[in-house]
Amino acid sequence: MKKRWPITILYRAFSSSTTSTTASFPLKHVKKSNFDSALSSLRHHVQAADFVAIDLEMTGITSAPWRDSFEFDRFDVRYLKVKDSAEKFAVIQFGVSPFRWDPLKQSFITHPHNFFIFQRQELPLDGAAYEFLCQTTSMDFLAKYQFDFNACIHEGVSYLSREQEDKALKHVNSTYEDESLDSWHSLKEIRDTHLFNIPDILFAERMKDRLSEWLGGLLRNRDGGSEVQPSFNDSKQQFETIFFKMRPAISLNGFTSHQLLLIQLVVRKHFKDLAYLRVSGENSCSQNVIVYIESESDKKMLMKEVKDEQKIDAEMSIKASIGFRHVIDLLSSEKKLIVGHNCFLDIAHIYSKFFGPLPLTAEEFISSVNKYFPHIIDTKILLNSNSILQQRMKKSSTSLSKAFSVLCPQIALGSKSTHLALQPSVKVEVEVDDIRSSNWNSGVKHEAGYDAFMTGCVFAQACSHLGIDFKQQSSSENLAHNEKLREHVNLLYLSWTNGEIINLSTGNRTSESLASNKRKNHYPKILFECIVIVWGFPSHLKAWDIRECISKVYGPTSVISVYHVDETAVFVQFSRAEMVSKFLDLKGSLDRNNDPISVLHPLAKLLEGGNTCAASYETYKEICSSTVSKVLFADQAKAVGIKWKTKLVESSDKTKEHESLRKVKAVNSDPSCGERTKNKNFDDHPCSFNGSRRTNTNLPIELLSEIFEELTDCENISHRAAVCMSFMASCHQNFLPSTFISSSISFLHCSHNHHQNLALSSNVQTHKHHQMFLPQLKESRCASTSYDGWLLTLPFDRKQNLYLSNPFARDRIKLGTAQALRVVTSISPLDPKCVVLDIHK
Amino acid sequence: MVPKFKPSPLRIRSFCTKTVQQNPHHWPIKQITKTNFNESLSEIKNHISSSDFIAVSLQNTGSFSSPWHRVSTFDTPETAYLKAKFAAERFQILQFAICPFKLQASKVIAYPYNFHLFPRDELKMGMPSYSFTCQTSYLTAMAKEGFDFNTCIYDGISYLSEAQESTVKVRMGNPMAVDHATKSSSSPALSVADTVFIERVRSRVKHWKNACTDSDIKTEALVTSLRKIVLGGEQFGSRPSMTIDVCSERQVQLVLKMLEDFSDVLVPLIIPAKGGGTQAVRAVLTSSDEDKHLLKRELQTFEFEQNKRVRGFREVIDLISASQKPIVAHNSLNDFTFIHSKFLAPLPPNMNEFICSLRLAFPQVIDVNYLLKDIGPVKKMTNISATIAYLKNRFFAPIEMEIPNQANENEGKIHGHNVVKICQLFGKLCSILKITPDAIESSDDFLASAINRYANIFYSLPGSSQEPTNEEIRGWTNDKRKVSCEDVVFLWGFRERISAGILKNMLQGSHEVFAEAFNVRMVDRSCAIVVFGKPGLSNTFKNVMNSKEVSGPLREMVSDGLKAAGYETYQRVCSSGLWESALADALDKALASHNCLSEAAYETKQSEIYLSNELINLAEL
Repeated sequence: MKKRWPITILYRAFSSSTTSTTASFPLKHVKKSNFDSALSSLRHHVQAADFVAIDLEMTGITSAPWRDSFEFDRFDVRYLKVKDSAEKFAVIQFGVSPFRWDPLKQSFITHPHNFFIFQRQELPLDGAAYEFLCQTTSMDFLAKYQFDFNACIHEGVSYLSREQEDKALKHVNSTYEDESLDSWHSLKEIRDTHLFNIPDILFAERMKDRLSEWLGGLLRNRDGGSEVQPSFNDSKQQFETIFFKMRPAISLNGFTSHQLLLIQLVVRKHFKDLAYLRVSGENSCSQNVIVYIESESDKKMLMKEVKDEQKIDAEMSIKASIGFRHVIDLLSSEKKLIVGHNCFLDIAHIYSKFFGPLPLTAEEFISSVNKYFPHIIDTKILLNSNSILQQRMKKSSTSLSKAFSVLCPQIALGSKSTHLALQPSVKVEVEVDDIRSSNWNSGVKHEAGYDAFMTGCVFAQACSHLGIDFKQQSSSENLAHNEKLREHVNLLYLSWTNGEIINLSTGNRTSESLASNKRKNHYPKILFECIVIVWGFPSHLKAWDIRECISKVYGPTSVISVYHVDETAVFVQFSRAEMVSKFLDLKGSLDRNNDPISVLHPLAKLLEGGNTCAASYETYKEICSSTVSKVLFADQAKAVGIKWKTKLVESSDKTKEHESLRKVKAVNSDPSCGERTKNKNFDDHPCSFNGSRRTNTNLPIELLSEIFEELTDCENISHRAAVCMSFMASCHQNFLPSTFISSSISFLHCSHNHHQNLALSSNVQTHKHHQMFLPQLKESRCASTSYDGWLLTLPFDRKQNLYLSNPFARDRIKLGTAQALRVVTSISPLDPKCVVLDIHK
Repeated sequence: MVPKFKPSPLRIRSFCTKTVQQNPHHWPIKQITKTNFNESLSEIKNHISSSDFIAVSLQNTGSFSSPWHRVSTFDTPETAYLKAKFAAERFQILQFAICPFKLQASKVIAYPYNFHLFPRDELKMGMPSYSFTCQTSYLTAMAKEGFDFNTCIYDGISYLSEAQESTVKVRMGNPMAVDHATKSSSSPALSVADTVFIERVRSRVKHWKNACTDSDIKTEALVTSLRKIVLGGEQFGSRPSMTIDVCSERQVQLVLKMLEDFSDVLVPLIIPAKGGGTQAVRAVLTSSDEDKHLLKRELQTFEFEQNKRVRGFREVIDLISASQKPIVAHNSLNDFTFIHSKFLAPLPPNMNEFICSLRLAFPQVIDVNYLLKDIGPVKKMTNISATIAYLKNRFFAPIEMEIPNQANENEGKIHGHNVVKICQLFGKLCSILKITPDAIESSDDFLASAINRYANIFYSLPGSSQEPTNEEIRGWTNDKRKVSCEDVVFLWGFRERISAGILKNMLQGSHEVFAEAFNVRMVDRSCAIVVFGKPGLSNTFKNVMNSKEVSGPLREMVSDGLKAAGYETYQRVCSSGLWESALADALDKALASHNCLSEAAYETKQSEIYLSNELINLAEL
C-alpha cells in the first residue's frame, strides 16, 4: 500500500464524448502464467523508452505507530524507519510503465504493466522461513480499492534477490564440491550400524541373493543372448530394470527407508561392481537406483556425471526462481530515467527485495542505489520545488491523484473536451498487447500499474511545462541529462513530513527551501542534542502535565516542546543541550534514592509507578534500529533489552552550569524565544517567579496547613498564584477566606517579555486555562494577581508607575512609582473592605 | 510397541437414517463470514448448549520462523510456552473452526462451523491488531487448498479481545448509566468549595428542569430556543438532557448525590473521559416513572447492541466459555495461546499464569495428542489424518460421523475439515480408551472424572503420562530416557552444515568428559545440544570451556570459535525474547547481556537480585 492523502475526487468518464467502446483502462496484468511473454515484450519497451514510471503496492507502511514519520526524525532515524518498513512489509504489486515519445504521432506511447508479485519459498534452503508483516489498516485500504489478493497469493510472480541467488548458488557449489566422491551422507552413518536382529539379517540375505541373481543374469546377457529377464521384473515392481546413464541399473520402488538402508549396506559390502545412488527424479521425488559399473574409474565417472547433472539442475531451478527480479535487472541495466512519486520508500523496497539487505546507514544506501539506478526523478519533489509547476498546480496538494487531475485533465477525464484543448498538453496513448488506445475510462487507483501510468503522465506534463520540447528532443539523448531537469534528478524526499530532501548522487541533504511552502506547522530547526526521550511514565500524564512537571524544576522556558511519540513515550525538547544531561542526572539520582526529598520532588509525579525511563536521542535511534516491533514504545524499549531506567550522558561541570544559567536569562528577554512558543495554547508555567526550583506539589494536607501558617511573609502570600495548581487549590480551599473561592477567574501567570502582552489565566473551578492578550501589560510585567481578576503590573522601568489593573472591567488604579514599593491587595480594590499592603524598603 | 489398552470389542453398528458422511471432502461444514454471522449466532448457541464437547481448530498465518523456534523435545513446559507465546503474538488467525459434537456409542454427531476472520480495525483505534505476520509457505499452502483470500479480507469477521473491549468502552465515551456501585455510600465532609459548587449546579439544574417542564405557559418559539441556549439544554434521544461538567471524581459524587433529590424525573448518566475517569455527568429528564424505566432499558439495549458489534467473533468465544463444556483440540498449547492472546487478553509472561488465566475462561481443555499417548508411543503426531490412519490400522474402533448441518451448498470451497477430523479422532480415542461411549447417560461423574484425567495438559513429554516437571526434558524421540536440564549443554560456533555424527566424532577425542556416554543432536544449522549421560559432567565441561586449562583438540575447537552454555542460558534466550533466526546468535546475545549485567551488578540493586535469583535456580536444577 502506498501512503497518500485521501482521495477526494473520483472521476467518472464522460462516456458520451468517447467514440471507442473501451470500457475500462487498458492495463496489462502480469501473473505467473504470462510472466515470461510479458517480460520479453517489456524488454523491448523499456529499451525504447524515454523514461520508465514505477509504483509499488505494499502490505503496510509502519510496523508500529511510533515508527511513523515525525518532525522529530533526524535523517538517520528516518532512514532506519524506512529500512524497517522495507524489511518487514511485502511488495504485492509492482507497476511498470515505460513511456516512449512517438515522433510520428506526436504523443507518448506507454505500456502500463501491472505485476502481481508474491515471494514463495521455492528453493529448499533451510533457515528462516519467508515471512512478511501486514498492517491491518493497509490491508483494509487495499480491500477498499478492490485489490485482488487471490491473484497475488495464488498466481503472483515469485522472485529471488541477488543476494538470495548468490547464497543459493554458493550452497549448491559447496554441497556438490566439498564432499568427496563417496561421502554420501547416509553411507557414512550406516557404517557403524550393524545388523542386529534376525529379520534384518534375513532381509539382507534375500536382497543379496536377488542382486547377485540380477547381476549374474546381466553378465550372462552380455555374453550370450539378449533375452530380457522376466523373472526379475515381478515382485510388485520393487525391482525395475532400467538404463541409467547408459548403464544397466535397478530402480528400487516401494521399500521403506530402513529397507533401503539395508540394501545400501548389502551393495557396499558384497558388490564391487554395483553402485547405490540416490538421484532426484523428474518430479522432484528422489529415486533410488543400483547401477552396474565396470570399474572403479567407471564408478568415479558415473558419480561425477550424476553430480554434475544434479548441480546443473539445482542451478537451473535457482535461475528459474529469479522471476520478477528480471524486471528490476532490466530497469537497472538499461539505466533509464526512473520516475516515481514520493518514492524513497519504494526505492528502499526495491533494494531490499531485489538486491540485498539494506545497508545500516543512509549514506551507504544512497551510494549503492545510485550505482543500480543512476537517474531517478521524484514527481512530488518536482512539483513542489519548481515555481512554474507550483503555479500550474494552483497550490493544490501534490498527492498523485490530485496532481494527475490538475496537470493532465484530458487524460484523467478520459475525454478530449474542447475547453481543455487550450492548455498545452502532452498527448499520451496507451498500448497493451499491440492495441493502442487513447480513449478509456479512468483506471482503478491504487492499482500499481495505473498509479505508475499516472506518475508518468504527470512527469511528461511537468516536463512540458518546464519547457522541454519532446519534438526537439532527439531520441538518442537521455532525458535525465536535459539541463532543465538536471537540478531535479536524483532528489528524493527523505521525509515528506519535515521536507528533508536527499540527493542520491551526492548524498547531500537539504531542507525544502521554496518560500511558497504550503506546510502548515513550520517548526524551527530541531536540535537533536536538546531532546530527551521519556517513556513508561504513568499513562494519565499528558504532554502538558509533563511539561509542567519539568518546568517546575528547570523554569518555564526550559522546555520548548513536549511531543507524544505514542501514548507511552514523549520527546522533551529542552532549550539547551546541557539540560539534557542535567535532567538525566537528576532523574538517575531520584531513581536511586527513595528518601522523602525525592518523593516530594516535582519530578516525582513523572516518576510515579517506577517504570519511567529516560535517555537521550541516541537511545531513540538505537531503539529504532532494532528489528523488533512492539506496538507500544515502552514495550519496544523493554523488548530491545533496555534494563536501565536512565541513560546518563556526560554531565557538564558546575561552572559551565552557572554560565548557562546566565545565558538562559539572556535568552528569556530575546524576542525569538517568545516566537518559539507562539504555537502553543499556553505559555510556560509560573513557578520561576519564586526563583525557587522546588515547589510543593503533592504535599499531604496536614503539612500544607503548617506551611501556610509559616508563610507570614506577604511577598510569599502575594505569590500564591504562582505556586503550582494543586497547592494553590488546596490552600485556598482550606485556609483562605471563603470570599476568595467565590470568584472563579484568576491570573496564573503573565508573560514577562517586552513584546508579548500575554497572560495565562485559569479558572479555578474548571481548571481550564485561557491565554489572553492584555494591553495593560505594555512595558511592564505582572507581579501579582488577586483571585478576582485584579493584577498588579510592575513596569520594567522602575520610574514608571505601578498599576492595579482589571482586564475584565478595563479598570486601572494607579499606585505610584515602582521604586521601593511592593503592593498586595486582599480582594477587589473596588471593595471598601480592600486592604492594600504597601511595603517600603 | 504394545498398546496399553486392548481394542474395544466389536460393536454392532446402529442403523442411521440420516446422511452419514464418511468422505471428508463432502463434510458439510458451514462457512461463516461477516454476511451470515449474525443470523447464524443463535443456531450456534443452540448447538453449543446441547453438545457434549466442542472441538476447535485454527488456521493461522504462520507458526515458527526458524527451525529452533519450533517447540521441540528439549523444551521444558516453560520454554515451550514462551515459544508458543512468541508465535501467538505475531501471527493471525484467518480461520477458526468450531464443532460442537455429541458422542453416542460409536457415533459422533457434529455441527461444524468454519469462521473466516480478519482483524479489521472497525473502530479506527489500532485494534484488534495493528499488524500481523504472514508466512509465505502458510499462505501458499492455503492457496493450494483453494482458500479465498479476498473473501477473508473483504468479508472476514473482526473481533476484539476482552481486554481490548474494556479499553474501547472507555475510549468511545458512551454514556453509562449509574449503578449503585459507583455511588459512594459515605457522604464526604463538605468543604466550602463543595457547597458552593453544589449550590451552583443545583440552581442550574432546577432552572433547566423548570424550563423544560413549563409546558403550560405558552411561550414564543424564540424565547424557548433562547432559553435552551442560555440554560445549556441538550437532547438525549427524544428526551431533554443537560450536561454538568466536572473536574474530579469527588465532584462526580457530589453531583450524583445532589441529583438524587431529583431522582423522580432525572436519570444521571456518566460520560467517561477519553483518558479514563469522568468527563461530565449528564442528567436526562424523563416524563414519568414508566418513561424512566423505558430509558434505562433503552440504554441497556443500546449498550448490548454496541458491545455485540464491537465484539464480533468473540461472541462465539464467549458462548463457548459460558457453556463451560470441555474443549477438544489438537496441539492445544499452540491453539490456546492464540485464543488467549486474540480473544482474552495479552499473554502472561509464564506458563502458570497462562494456565490460571485460561482456566477461568475454559475450565476443561483436552488435547487429543495427550489421549494418544495413553495408547502407546506414536511418532510424529502432527498430522491428524495420519494419526487417524494409524489408529485405523491398529485398532478396530469404527466411528460414524453424522453431520446434520445444512451446509451452504451453493458456496464453492469448504474449509475447516480439521475440526471434524479432531471430532472423529477424539471419538475413536474415547472408544479405544473406553472413556465415554455409554457413560454419558449412565453417570456424568464417571465421565467427568475420566475426562478430567486428560484435561488441561498443554504440554507433555512424549511417552510419559504424568505431567512433566520443569526440570526434565527429553533427549530425543527414540530415546525414552528423561534428561535433566542440568546435563544438557548447548554448543555452537562450529562450521555450518556439520552433521551430528561428525560433531560427535570430533568431540569424542577432544576431552576426557567425552569418554563417558554422551549424545549430540543438532538444534538448527548453527547449534547443537550435547546430553551427558553422567550427572555433573556437564558442569565439568562448562568449567573446562571457560578456563585457561582447555587443551588439546578441544582447545583447537575453542580457538576456532566453539562456545558452550548451559540450559539456563537457553531459558534466558526464550524468556528475554531473543528470537534471532539462528540459535547461536541468540545464545551469544544472551551471554553478552548476561556478562554486561554481572559487570554492572553493583550499579543497581535490581540486577543484583536478578543475579542471585539465577544462582539459586542453578543450585536447584
